Amino acid sequence: MFMLSLLRDTLRIPPHNLSIPLLDAIRVQIQNIYLDKVIKELGLCVTLYDIRSIEGGFVFPGDGAPTFTVDFGLVMFRPFVGEVLVGKLKKCDKTGLHISLGFFDDIHVPEHLLQQPSTFDEEEKLWVWKYQGNDMFMDLDEDVRFRVLQVKYPPIPVEQDKDAKPFAPMEIIGDTNADGLGLVSWWS
Amino acid sequence: MKILEANAGLLSNFEVLDLLRSRGADKGFLGAVGAVTPSECKVYDYLVQSPAGTQTREKVQDFLKEAEQYSLTKAERLQASNIRPISAVEVHLIVEDCDERLSSAMVDRFVGSVEEKLPPPPEQSDETAEQGETEMETE
Repeated sequence: MFMLSLLRDTLRIPPHNLSIPLLDAIRVQIQNIYLDKVIKELGLCVTLYDIRSIEGGFVFPGDGAPTFTVDFGLVMFRPFVGEVLVGKLKKCDKTGLHISLGFFDDIHVPEHLLQQPSTFDEEEKLWVWKYQGNDMFMDLDEDVRFRVLQVKYPPIPVEQDKDAKPFAPMEIIGDTNADGLGLVSWWS
Repeated sequence: MKILEANAGLLSNFEVLDLLRSRGADKGFLGAVGAVTPSECKVYDYLVQSPAGTQTREKVQDFLKEAEQYSLTKAERLQASNIRPISAVEVHLIVEDCDERLSSAMVDRFVGSVEEKLPPPPEQSDETAEQGETEMETE
């Protein structure tokens, strides 16, 4: 779910933006710094909600730009534990499902949290739910409904192996082992 | 950077969609300074095909008012407006301990008010449009 978070920051407005109105210049600066970034424990910043106050405008000695203290609100994507979300299935592998919301990709459903009993089809490379003798395939690009089990903010790695998967600042562990979860088409 | 208030309020999917629309996300990424960014467009694309895509402010307010009588928490009501549950199994997903808090008759009534107050999601029209296209192609 999306939430509103209030932040205060000191922003340096670069000289080339001083010709546009101050509010726009600050808006651009906030967008550059925060948009599409993860803030630990706050979630992924989606967009700027409002600017509440602007103070200062101090020019530090030796610096050719004013610095403002700005209070502003950001729209954050921060799902809570237990929230139900719908995403698209991007990848199946032995470890489980990888789901994408379009703007957020780091969602993983580990194999022990799939509908029981599920097996991995080696030929199709897909997960199959064996439901009352029927094989229910989890096809790629299908809508998957899952429950948020955990939201993790892993620490930034100091050193990373060459072939390690790209670092994700925010990860969601999903659960599809309940009635109504799994492919949306199963339940409609 | 200082966090003044981590949680200053919940926003429904519709409110975020409305905000992004007012920022011009429905016109796509143009690359102008201060205009909508690609990441905002992605969020917009996700929300516009969710049930929030067809909702209006009045309808959501109307629904949230109607939902008050079921003694659900605020988060549960908001989730209901985000997901638009139209079957009992979906209501059970959203509402914690649904068996103890709502009788099955109340669940049915809740589904009824969801169907009545919230417009159907835009997906169906997309599908018919796609079907139309494939028919055109086969012709």
